[in-house]
Amino acid sequence: MTSSWSRTAALGAALCLGVATQAAPPDAAHWAYQPLGFPRPPTVPGRPVGNPIDAFIQARILPAGLPRAPEAPARTQLRRLSYDLVGLPPRPEELDAFESACAVDPSVAYAREVERLLASPRHGERWARHWMDAAHFAETHGHDQDRIRSNAWPYRDWLIQAFNADMPYTRFVQAQVAGDVLFPEDPFATVALGFIAAGPWDESSLRDIREDTLDRQIGRYLDRDDMLATVMSVFTSSTVHCARCHDHKFDPIPQRDYYALQAVFSGVERANRVFDPDPDVHRRRQELLHRRRQLDRGDSNLLHAATTRAAVDAWRVRNVTAPVEWQELATQTHIPTATGVLTRQADGSFLASGTTPERDTYTVLAPAPSGRVTAIQLELLPDASLPFQGPGRQSLNGNLHLSEFRVLAHPPDGGAPRVVALVNPTADFNQEGWTIAHALDGDEKTAWGIHPEEGKAHRALFELKEACEFPPGTTIAFVLHQLHGGGHLIGRFRLTTTGAPGPHRAIPAEFSAWAHREPSSWTPEQWTRLAGHVLREDLRRELAALPTPSLVYAAAADFDPDGSLRPSLNPRPIHVLNRGEITQPRDEVGPGALSCVAALPARYRVPDGAEEGARRALLAGWLVSPDNPLVWRSIVNRVWHHHFGRGLVDTPNDFGRMGSAPTHPELLDWLAVWFRDEARGSLKALHRLIVTSATYRQSVRTTRSGAGDPDPDNRLLAHRSPIRLDAECVRDAMLLASGRLDFRMGGPGDMQFDLQPGIHVTPRVDYTRFDLDSAAGGRRSVYRFLFRTLPDPFMDALDCPAGDQLTAVRNNSVTVQQALALWNNALVARQAEHLASRLETEPGTVESRIGRAVVLTLGRPAASEELRELVAYARRHGLAAGCRLLFNANEFVFVD
Amino acid sequence: MAFPLQRPGPIPTRREFLGRLGAGFGSVALAQLLGAERLLGGEAGSGARPSPHPARAKRVIQLFMNGGASQMDLFDHKPALFRHAGEAFDPGKGVRVEAPTSEPGKVLKPPFEFRQHGQSGRWVSSVLPHLSRCVDDLAFLMAMQSRTNVHGPGSYLMNTGFLLPGFPCLGAWTSYALGRESDNLPAFVVLPDAKGLPYNGRGNFSSGFLPVSFQGTVIQSRAADASGSGPGGSNGFLLSDLSAPPSARYITPASDQDGLAVLQGLNRRHQEAHPTDSRLESRIQAYELAARMHLSAPEVFALEGETEATRRLYGLDNAVTENFGRRCLLARRLVERGVRFVQVWSGAGGPTGNWDNHANIVKELPPMCAATDQPIAALLTDLRARGLLEDTLVLWNTEFGRMPFAQSSEGRDHNGGTFVGWMAGAGVRPGVAHGESDEWSWKAAHDITTTYDFHATVLHLLGLDHERLTFRHNGADRRLTDVHGEVIRQVLA
Repeated sequence: MTSSWSRTAALGAALCLGVATQAAPPDAAHWAYQPLGFPRPPTVPGRPVGNPIDAFIQARILPAGLPRAPEAPARTQLRRLSYDLVGLPPRPEELDAFESACAVDPSVAYAREVERLLASPRHGERWARHWMDAAHFAETHGHDQDRIRSNAWPYRDWLIQAFNADMPYTRFVQAQVAGDVLFPEDPFATVALGFIAAGPWDESSLRDIREDTLDRQIGRYLDRDDMLATVMSVFTSSTVHCARCHDHKFDPIPQRDYYALQAVFSGVERANRVFDPDPDVHRRRQELLHRRRQLDRGDSNLLHAATTRAAVDAWRVRNVTAPVEWQELATQTHIPTATGVLTRQADGSFLASGTTPERDTYTVLAPAPSGRVTAIQLELLPDASLPFQGPGRQSLNGNLHLSEFRVLAHPPDGGAPRVVALVNPTADFNQEGWTIAHALDGDEKTAWGIHPEEGKAHRALFELKEACEFPPGTTIAFVLHQLHGGGHLIGRFRLTTTGAPGPHRAIPAEFSAWAHREPSSWTPEQWTRLAGHVLREDLRRELAALPTPSLVYAAAADFDPDGSLRPSLNPRPIHVLNRGEITQPRDEVGPGALSCVAALPARYRVPDGAEEGARRALLAGWLVSPDNPLVWRSIVNRVWHHHFGRGLVDTPNDFGRMGSAPTHPELLDWLAVWFRDEARGSLKALHRLIVTSATYRQSVRTTRSGAGDPDPDNRLLAHRSPIRLDAECVRDAMLLASGRLDFRMGGPGDMQFDLQPGIHVTPRVDYTRFDLDSAAGGRRSVYRFLFRTLPDPFMDALDCPAGDQLTAVRNNSVTVQQALALWNNALVARQAEHLASRLETEPGTVESRIGRAVVLTLGRPAASEELRELVAYARRHGLAAGCRLLFNANEFVFVD
Repeated sequence: MAFPLQRPGPIPTRREFLGRLGAGFGSVALAQLLGAERLLGGEAGSGARPSPHPARAKRVIQLFMNGGASQMDLFDHKPALFRHAGEAFDPGKGVRVEAPTSEPGKVLKPPFEFRQHGQSGRWVSSVLPHLSRCVDDLAFLMAMQSRTNVHGPGSYLMNTGFLLPGFPCLGAWTSYALGRESDNLPAFVVLPDAKGLPYNGRGNFSSGFLPVSFQGTVIQSRAADASGSGPGGSNGFLLSDLSAPPSARYITPASDQDGLAVLQGLNRRHQEAHPTDSRLESRIQAYELAARMHLSAPEVFALEGETEATRRLYGLDNAVTENFGRRCLLARRLVERGVRFVQVWSGAGGPTGNWDNHANIVKELPPMCAATDQPIAALLTDLRARGLLEDTLVLWNTEFGRMPFAQSSEGRDHNGGTFVGWMAGAGVRPGVAHGESDEWSWKAAHDITTTYDFHATVLHLLGLDHERLTFRHNGADRRLTDVHGEVIRQVLA
């Protein structure tokens, strides 16, 4: 009956059948929330302290009466170290050299390898992938509209760079939560915000459906839920997302804390965000964008600043007190139009009459004015002969559509005409969605319109990109394309030019009634409108002068609207939702963090009118405080997990009561404090400390333990446990062996599939049609394009997460699908062929080539029996078939 | 501050606890690989714990109508829609009416004739002539309710119990809990529409945080005009990586057979040096299973082995019903051979060719019905004739319903407020209808079936207690039913 009882217990444990675990109330004295101690490493009389890790580990092994495993063989050590630090196996010559060097001085040889691997650019690629798991990074949205995010990859590259540069952990955390605010001088700190946006996004709920629906509000809450769960799970190993509907059942996290964290992120969306790799340009653009947001939010300090007054004065001088004089063109002619008739009027304008065609293009020719030309003015004039007084000819309302406006200079010698480049178009009025910018955008399908302001005069100004003095005898052609159709044609217009220095901007019609009066007579509202207009004009010009920015898909409060996804001017108000129901809002809450970390304030006082970034900056400060025990324990445990296959706490995202307790609490605390204070957040120092420990360098156990093994799970680490390689290591190791691995770094993700348009938004993705020999096929797995709802079946079978859940610990499954994938997938079949070809280019026999293949795949010389079998097999079925077997071997996919 | 080394409590993963069960690790590893052990309940009686109740269903075929099948045009007969057709939609009491993608239009009457059918007198519209003859076998859930009106979250909710991606679906939970009955076939198979994957792509068949072995194995079917075989497939069915790619010409049946023997020799020797790691033994078994699956799959796909009468029954002789019919027939063959859960999809994601009929009910709904009606009726008939309906549960579902008022003038927008699903077969009380929507079929009114209730009921029929089937992930004991769900006893036999 014992076995039946233990099975019941095991089932209860594994399936967590509930009831009993719900009894105890949340416990503020729980280990994870306690301040960090700094326990001294235990000492064993008569033994030197050595690596403190070993002191803590051995202090537990000895009393348990466990035998200690010997140091692993040299080749095993290097293979393990190399996979852990760079995600690739050592090359055969590296193994040979290391083995020889170990014969001389093993510790020097080993230390040299550690430094070589930590300095390798491959190191960042390996550890970035771990972080991408944690952040559930992928490059599509992941819901029903699984749209591609073309600009997600810069965040992946930032991670790689950060790990390679050994960015201090404090800055690493701060950058990913509030890099834009805390490090404005560093353009790539903005890229780091890709962390917050790494997860899925529900395009249908957040962009496509109506703004006024409950579904939209639910979508927003869930979107922020993902953001805060990502930040808090990854950095603090807490499960605050379990407190959405009620106070946390097991941990001291009240529901209000959850909503306070919602409030931290209530000003950002996931969107393409601009940054400039050049720090000076970056700073300049961010200043301008900041000023634009201030304007959008009606910042009264800005509107009444001395600089604003000066800008308004300058504007008035240009437009009111000393307005620019516009010169009529000398004798003008025009090229006959489609069917209408243009007649020159006494005031220099042209009036159209006759049949109204659907579309038309007017071309006016005039001798170039003498002297400088800096701008061109197009006036539209009403006329009694036009429908509804014009100024357009559209019969139902008098509107018009100017699709494109082009100006050409014909030289006196009759040579080819030169395009006169125009910039900064402005109009006194723009129909909604039909702005004057459309007349210069090169797209004949878009146009300028004036509805509903027909029956009035209007004007549009165009600056010359470079002021011009045309040689005498030059003829200027003004071409007005009006291609929208429906008779949207200009009825009466006049063209004039000026040589006055710019800027030249059309005064919006809404100001014309009062802008000529003294500013002192304006109402405050009129001041706000005009000052806002002037500042916005200046901003537009300054932004246009900057180089084209780069984009990163990141948390963003300022981005171009996309459908009904628009930036929120201010953080949205957040209410505690009773039972998590959107229809039951309770009190509004401000931003904050976890109240169970006693040493730190849990609610933030954010100044009125502060931008949302202030909230994220406060959370970042809370996270990296030396007094936040969660954060420091969390990261050292994560690193430990990746080196040993299991953390000291084996639930790296959950340090709460539902998670596991640390197996070695003193070691965990010692590492956390050492990492914070001694290593100053250097992850490379932490790697070095761990991988040089005797604990890390032990061998696996090669004998079966007896029934009385006190530590069947090897939680005390009296020996190493084999680790199954993850999907990326398997794929990269095959490419390395086949000679196909391409070490180019960075850039957009490699699409290792055939991409075709889908029926709707989600494209069709076919991994079987990918050309494995194409350039994209050889790159390291960290650069694969990651499709959330359509993951690569090969990588999927090897437990590579799809980016739909935070993955602190990958599953480590052994399945039939996995066997089928390794046995039959075209990737493996092809790399086996490449490996065979590579071997066949070198002189040798089947024996020597198979022997070499074993070294390249398993990192050791072939044993005689396996050599004999493999050679016989390769003789019968070819070398490639033999290589395919090696890629399928247990020894290939496991590391001791 | 005390740090216990190991608390009693839920720590080990499933693999770990199985590994820990100790003696005869090979058999345990194999059991884990097959998922053949029964974790909970079940008539096999593992002795692990008393079964909460006996399982009535051993396997499930779920027919999923992607896009939101229009309940009031198919099953939920509402005279008010005919009486008030063309009027402004006003449910009274000043209740706000909203539609997710459009401005609410006028009341739209169903463009099809409704009649009562069978002993039970269920109302079915004229677009489902075959199914209307089966109503006495079905238990209708007439007032199902979603939490959303949006496809992505809606499909996730109906499949996984959560609005967000990343959670295991019903089929994954089922295979996780009950394991596999067959040594040669996966426990959970998905047959998507030949036109493409549904909304959310493979997210709907995901094992989420459960081990990958529990996710749906997708068998693609080709459109009728495509050639019949290719890598890993036959009869127009395709299972990824079942066979080596034809491009690798060095791989032959003989090289596979010899190669497996050499590989297993290599692996055995490696395993002997690592006797404590059961995964190594599992991998050896996995390759043997893979080889068996490779051999057995073509037999499963061989629909030509069916009688002419059966092929006609499923509509394989008719271009309209051929694809869905073939997949229904394959579903029967799969469950016959021990597959635990088969999901058959109608409709891919996108604006047309599915049940998401925004533009025009009259034009868009009948073709979907025509493609599926005869095959579904055939499946029920065939399962019954073979005695499989006794312990096979058949489910007909969709992610939500549609609005009683028009979108533009002739379509309908999404409506999570009420929709219809039905169940048949093992343990289901035939000929009943549970629940009722309001007079408009706008919102569920009485005896509501939430998606949680529905999932709880399906698990119950499989002998599983939805509150006890849990998996620890990121600090929460996750369930298919989250923290909700009541078994709908009224539909149980």
